[in-house]
Amino acid sequence: MRGMTGMEIDISGAFDPAGPDDDAQGQVPTERTAGATLLEVDDLAVEFRSDDGAVRAVDGLSYRVEAGRTLALVGESGCGKSVSSLAVMGLLPPTARVVRGSARYRGTDLLALSPAKHRAHAGTHVAMVFQDALAALNPVHTVGYQLTEALRARSGLSRREARRRAIELLDLVKVPNAAGRVDEYPHQFSGGMRQRVMIASALALDPDVLIADEPTTALDVTVQAQVLRLLAEIQAERQMGLVLITHDLGVVAGVADDVTVMYAGRAVEHAPVRDLYAAPAHPYTRALLRSVPRLDAGADGDRLPVVPGRPPVPGRVPSGCPFHPRCDMARDVCRTDVPPLADAAPERSSACFFAAELLGGARA
Amino acid sequence: MPENPATSDDAVLEVRDLAKSYPVRQGLVLKRTTGHVQAVDGVSLALRRGRTLGLVGESGSGKSTLARVLVGIEKPTRGQVLVDGEDVSTMSRGARRELRRNVQMVFQDPYTSLNPRMSVGEIVAEPYRIHPDAVPRTGRRKAVAELLALVGLDPDHVHRYPHQFSGGQRQRIGIARALAVKPRVLVCDEPVSALDVSVQGQVINLLEDLQDELGLSYLFIAHDLAVVQHIADEVAVMYLGRVVEEGDRPAVYKCAHHPYTRALLSAVPVPDPAARSAGTELLLEGDPPSPADPPSGCRFHTRCWLARRLAAEQGLAGDGPDDVPERCRTEDPVLVPLGRGDGARGAAVPHAAACHFAHRAAAFDGRPAAVVPEDAGPDVGPDIEPDIEPDAGLDAGLDADFDPEATLDPATGRAVLRPTRPDHVTETVPDPAVLESRER
Ligand SMILES: Nc1ncnc2c1ncn2[C@@H]1O[C@H](COP(=O)(O)OP(=O)(O)OP(=O)(O)O)[C@@H](O)[C@H]1O
Ligand SMILES: Nc1ncnc2c1ncn2[C@@H]1O[C@H](COP(=O)(O)OP(=O)(O)OP(=O)(O)O)[C@@H](O)[C@H]1O
Ligand code: SF4
Ligand code: SF4
Ligand SMILES: [Mg+2]
Ligand SMILES: [Mg+2]
Repeated sequence: MRGMTGMEIDISGAFDPAGPDDDAQGQVPTERTAGATLLEVDDLAVEFRSDDGAVRAVDGLSYRVEAGRTLALVGESGCGKSVSSLAVMGLLPPTARVVRGSARYRGTDLLALSPAKHRAHAGTHVAMVFQDALAALNPVHTVGYQLTEALRARSGLSRREARRRAIELLDLVKVPNAAGRVDEYPHQFSGGMRQRVMIASALALDPDVLIADEPTTALDVTVQAQVLRLLAEIQAERQMGLVLITHDLGVVAGVADDVTVMYAGRAVEHAPVRDLYAAPAHPYTRALLRSVPRLDAGADGDRLPVVPGRPPVPGRVPSGCPFHPRCDMARDVCRTDVPPLADAAPERSSACFFAAELLGGARA
Repeated sequence: MPENPATSDDAVLEVRDLAKSYPVRQGLVLKRTTGHVQAVDGVSLALRRGRTLGLVGESGSGKSTLARVLVGIEKPTRGQVLVDGEDVSTMSRGARRELRRNVQMVFQDPYTSLNPRMSVGEIVAEPYRIHPDAVPRTGRRKAVAELLALVGLDPDHVHRYPHQFSGGQRQRIGIARALAVKPRVLVCDEPVSALDVSVQGQVINLLEDLQDELGLSYLFIAHDLAVVQHIADEVAVMYLGRVVEEGDRPAVYKCAHHPYTRALLSAVPVPDPAARSAGTELLLEGDPPSPADPPSGCRFHTRCWLARRLAAEQGLAGDGPDDVPERCRTEDPVLVPLGRGDGARGAAVPHAAACHFAHRAAAFDGRPAAVVPEDAGPDVGPDIEPDIEPDAGLDAGLDADFDPEATLDPATGRAVLRPTRPDHVTETVPDPAVLESRER
């Protein structure tokens, strides 16, 4: 492809990625071996304080991020995708608190650190592209200034050096004419270009793990395809672990290696992407997959399959299996007992009492 | 063919050569007009009774602007808006108000389009203030509760405020509000874009039910082509303020002729990891140009993959944004019917595209090709064979990674590319729609 080689730049060498104000535990191996576990979230639970008492937004979420692999975190609006990521980053609003669980980055439980150390540690090694990225850019600063804010704060780069780095970062995310555009303001960038800037800024400290919260939801399909390809390229080149938060199962099919499906604040299914699409092991996953409008499906007059009902509101999660009011397989036990996330097949787990039946039925 | 053309074919809402431009102002104190944004530039469309017209196109292509002009929120700079065949600008004020009632809009952004200080009940009942005769005063409370239930919201929540709802729920509040005065036409500007797939289907099915029951007509704006395919009877594709392709839904989806439409279709993610494309999408480079300064000639030429490939075929470099056939750079293509064989026969809306080389798009992108009729469209370039074979012209100068040997995946119906084998006989892969019509 044209011009590719000129863009393969290395931004990791010029400064100490651990940074001057990193904590003592920061003896972090910088090499990334494909498949090595980078981040492990275990049984995470987050609560919000509200007038009606504490409300669980995340309630027992576990997932693992490996170097060079993409994990998709999928689920309906409000199921806790963003809140769980903010908890990992140490960026929860003051009204929220982690009530249970751990988030180990290369063995260090981030959630056990002091808030300041947590943010510093996560901010360096785990980066996040926020869901409202397009609004996150400050209109009064140039794109270049914002791109290197973290860099200047952590490694004391000179202005000139920082500007050069900003151009490299813009180049990395394929903003055309990076040198010319580094001094422009966010409003002079299109939505797709602003999203690239946000990705570039997340990559500034060469993170091990990138959490991208709905990075393409606000974009057109053509621009979405560009941005997804870009993310995949950068990830493969750096062997980053990528957590892709999305509700778009088309996007997931195109880029993910593994998928964790969330429902009402917890993981209900985990599987390699092909297995999941070939035979879901949870009725919710199955219903979600059926409801995706497909370009390749005959559309004449047929109704779109839907998941009946509505997702539960935090604080009013049904008893037993939280999915039971919407589940076409529900039985008595589902109304009283909570199904744990358990192994359903090699490399797969499901939080449904009847996962084996589902998988068996699919094979038969 | 619709059974009853007299009732379903006439246009409830029509625009002719519609244009809307906004002044671009510069300077902080003395704002001077330094140019114009041609948000919509010469669009003609017809929305038929009880039917759904899908309008797709990238961000900034002018879809929302067109919608606002259609419902009368903004005045066109040029052109006509006709309701039931009557020019709106010549209507009396009373007639125009009645029109406003009949044509309601569901807005794109559920966060800014709902007043945060009004309760849901007040929001849904708001249109009654402007159109008091739509529902008698005493029946309004009940009507609001019914509307909320209709769109899948809890009627007990009438006293809640927008911030207490999720984005998806707010979108439904907007739909309930639009339906309050019993309109005949709904202009839906991205009504399901903010919804989860699970809920998206519920709302689309709901819209379809309402259409069947009430004979509503929809202008359905969306960027998700898979969604539009589900609800639309006809489709129009916009690029930079213009309609570049239009036709009946099957024609546009199965035999797209404009390279932009084909790129849009190829960029839609397929929810199937087994069909993961190996970089075979027609990736458009860059962003859409600014409508304040549209490119010369064909507005799409700065991003057109077909023009690059044609240029390469003609021995030009085929690389830079201006390395395109001269015609693309200099001559503005008009929307012309594609002629017989492209789904035009028996179609309610003739399939048309605005591209000088529309009949070559299928041949060049490795996706299934439509069979081009002998009397191909009127605008086939002089140096181009009209009835070209889909695999012709693939020798010199084409992208190395471009493989002409497209075949259909039986499971998905999509084109998949096979690795080239020297001993392999290239077969022409006909479009499924064309096959169907041949069998008849
Ligand atoms: N600041 C807050 N105060 C109270 N509740 C909150 C707050 N932020 C989020 N929540 C609640 O926590 C739950 C999880 O929210 P979260 O933003 O993680 O959802 P999500 O899965 O990211 O959804 P989406 O797809 O809409 O982004 C939601 O029900 C939400 O209402
Ligand atoms: N009030 C306005 N003043 C100036 N320019 C405007 C105004 N409204 C729209 N535009 C410009 O007109 C063009 C078309 O905008 P429009 O909102 O109609 O596009 P759209 O197709 O609806 O895009 P999207 O998918 O982002 O909603 C854009 O370039 C936009 O910036
Ligand atoms: S446990 Fe019961 S209710 Fe829950 S998903 Fe399985 S079958 Fe459905
Ligand atoms: S006229 Fe030329 S630039 Fe325009 S769409 Fe056709 S091939 Fe592309
Ligand atoms: Mg979120
Ligand atoms: Mg719009």
